[in-house]
Amino acid sequence: METYDVVVVGAGNGGLTASTALARKGLKVLLLERHNIPGGCATSFCRGRFEFEVALHQLSGVGTPESPGPLRMLLSQLGVLEDLELVEVKDLYHVIGPGDFRLSLKPDRLQVIAAFQDKFPKEKEGIERFFELSYEYASQMLSAFYFKDPDPSREKFPILYHYAFKPAQEVLDELFRDPLLKCAISLYWSFLGLPPSRLSFAYLAMLFFTYIELKPFHIKGGSQALSNVLINRFLSQGGTARFSCGVDKILINQGRVEGVVTEHGDHINTRYVVSNVSPVATYTSLIAPEYVPETVFHEMRGRTLSPSAFTMFIGFDREARELGLTGSMTFFPNHTDITDKNLLEMQRLDMENPFMAMSCYDVADPGFSPPGTCQASVVTLKYGEPWLRVPPAQYHQMKFRCAESMLRRVEAAFPGVRGHIEEIEVATPLTHMRYLGHPNGAIYGFEQYTKDSMFFQPGRTSPIQGLSFASGWIGDCGFQPTLQAGVTAAKSIIREFEGK
Amino acid sequence: MKKELFKEFDGYDRIVEEREYSRKYGLDYSAHKDLADPYIQRLHPKRLNLQVSEIINETPSAKTLRLVSPERVLPPFLAGQYIALFLEIAGIRTSRPYSISSPPNQAGYYDLTVRRVEEGLVSNFLLDEVKRGDLLQSSGPEGNFYYNPLFHDKTMVCLAGGSGITPFMSMVREVVECGLDREIYLFYGNRNLKEAIFHRLLFDLSERFPNVHYTPVIEDPLEGNQCLVGLIGGGLIKNTLGELEGKTFYLCGPQAMYDFCIPELERLGIPGRKIRKEVYGPPIDITRAPNWPGEIKADNRIRVKMNDGRTLEARSGETLAVALERQEIRVPTLCRSGECSQCRVKVTSGRVFQPAGALVRKSDRRFGYVHSCVSYPLEDLEIIL
Repeated sequence: METYDVVVVGAGNGGLTASTALARKGLKVLLLERHNIPGGCATSFCRGRFEFEVALHQLSGVGTPESPGPLRMLLSQLGVLEDLELVEVKDLYHVIGPGDFRLSLKPDRLQVIAAFQDKFPKEKEGIERFFELSYEYASQMLSAFYFKDPDPSREKFPILYHYAFKPAQEVLDELFRDPLLKCAISLYWSFLGLPPSRLSFAYLAMLFFTYIELKPFHIKGGSQALSNVLINRFLSQGGTARFSCGVDKILINQGRVEGVVTEHGDHINTRYVVSNVSPVATYTSLIAPEYVPETVFHEMRGRTLSPSAFTMFIGFDREARELGLTGSMTFFPNHTDITDKNLLEMQRLDMENPFMAMSCYDVADPGFSPPGTCQASVVTLKYGEPWLRVPPAQYHQMKFRCAESMLRRVEAAFPGVRGHIEEIEVATPLTHMRYLGHPNGAIYGFEQYTKDSMFFQPGRTSPIQGLSFASGWIGDCGFQPTLQAGVTAAKSIIREFEGK
Repeated sequence: MKKELFKEFDGYDRIVEEREYSRKYGLDYSAHKDLADPYIQRLHPKRLNLQVSEIINETPSAKTLRLVSPERVLPPFLAGQYIALFLEIAGIRTSRPYSISSPPNQAGYYDLTVRRVEEGLVSNFLLDEVKRGDLLQSSGPEGNFYYNPLFHDKTMVCLAGGSGITPFMSMVREVVECGLDREIYLFYGNRNLKEAIFHRLLFDLSERFPNVHYTPVIEDPLEGNQCLVGLIGGGLIKNTLGELEGKTFYLCGPQAMYDFCIPELERLGIPGRKIRKEVYGPPIDITRAPNWPGEIKADNRIRVKMNDGRTLEARSGETLAVALERQEIRVPTLCRSGECSQCRVKVTSGRVFQPAGALVRKSDRRFGYVHSCVSYPLEDLEIIL
């Protein structure tokens, strides 16, 4: 029977960095992936002349070579940085609507403040204060947790102590009067899936701080290039990967992992499994119920599944510039409401006038699509559950109908683009269920309420010895956190091996 | 750092309370297991078990296999999509994609219309060996060749060659049977009329429905009294259609047809975005493909070494997927045309020939990944499956 030090289940972001980090330390690692290609969310697909980016909109935490951010350092430690071409994105985000409202932000603190103040001259002070607060929060948070201050206290970090668990909406209501301003300044909530009424201010502050100071990035070749670079590094370090080879069972003996069984029936011995699969699927589908400690489901009970996404991938037969697509990241808010109304909208199937975000990769990287073309991916967040109510025979029709209403909004913002569509592919929450295997197609894993942040939940560990998790399900979600999660999971296993 | 600093943050107790409440009244995930999967299986089954309920003779060289499911409702599809049949023939496990020729509104069966290919392992098996009642296994419906209401014109101009008629048959049937607000111009090229599958049916439908226009074109001049002779050229298309604006063009047929028709359409000023092309499998003789290195012969023997230590023998004139299958090595395949990327393998040493049109991701190219269904070994290879 085959024996490995560690088996990593799933070659998504977390699984890839975990495997690579483990293999670099000389451990014998087997990476199993049920799809034919690595990446999970971090992937691409081809249609006609286009290779469409699936998931990456703005890579965070990169920073410049001169002042590298945590992700750049992580990629460097894994030995993959020199294999990647990271493209700095020169704009932060653009806003189109509601109505004729327009806003363009650059990743520069002063420009962002000036741009908001220009649109909302009556709220100059509040805007100033909002960014001051965000930056103070970020700096105190980093001092306390990232740089591990030896003696933290409320006196030293008053903003952190006061704001860490405060909902974003409370802060916005304190500082601003104009609902349009509250809306336009909090649009990054869509990167996390919870509207400002539910999202903690901490997330919003950290996102602004990170994207402004460390800049948003793209990757040449898209997120698939990152996945391929990681798997290449893993293989060259002696790792073994099997594709089109899912895991059927994780075997447990006396509370400890002792192996896995693949979908092809092969038994593999191992004392460590890193699961890049959701904890829901890991505990319900991969481990026999008698081995799952009750605490696991008790702790999970309070958690809810994040929205999935409805995405339109469009290839145009003109360059971005020719179509007037000048923004890398554009938000299309449909109203100024930042409350739970947004949750209700995400729970509805219908899509008359959805809140959308659009990425156009060719703006920052003109070579992203073939010469003379460009691509855009237009996303709106939707919970997956309502899609399970669509009768299968009506699925295609529903998909086209929803896409049609999004397309109309794109055309209204950029008249004439519809006449230049060369390819369109549509992904629904069901597509995400199918390819990611996430319950209800939840793209962000569990919802990121404050009560569900790392402080309050079990995180990557499991009561089952030898089992740990690396994915967007066990902490914060997004590329940077999941890539980090894999390395963190690998580190604890390496420590155990070195301790022996 | 103090270990649990966050416990001192404002609102900590409230959040712990919230967490405990939510755990009390929350979801039981232990029962969550099968919520979505059965639904996904209804749309995108991994495998379908099908039974041949009827075999219909279409032409001397073509038959329609009518396939029903003994165990489930067939998944919905879009007219123009295909299923891949998974077969074991003479000890070789292989697959072939076939467009569904029945319309999507017919939920009771899928029709696959198969035409004999010279030395075609699979087509000969399906035409000669398969009987009523036989069981076959397939994929779910796949493929990107269909009418897309988001950006296609309601007037479709379909150019079919030989067995390339099958996806269009599904489209025409759906349009007439469901009374859809679409118009179809169908040009159908064949060597002679007797080989034209569905000729009678298409002719009748075009007589009965004003939105279906059927133009058979044959190469054999002896039949010139019955229909047009020649190829589907720009002049014929322009004369039949009149106005070219507001129409989307769909092509399905052998490579030679694309090589001839696409430049014709371009000369008429049809923009590339209006020309949709179905993939049609690897060419029968790859050594005649453009850019094939002339010094390499089809029967050159090539050694392929796999990462598990096994080696196998391949020929330059056959695809890597075929060579792997012959030696019982599991490679998932669906489209067998370089599109779906299921059969992706990594070549770590040696060269392969990939004809133009294989849709390989940029970063896959950089790291040596190829689609084995359209990759021809030119020299000894080392591969990772």
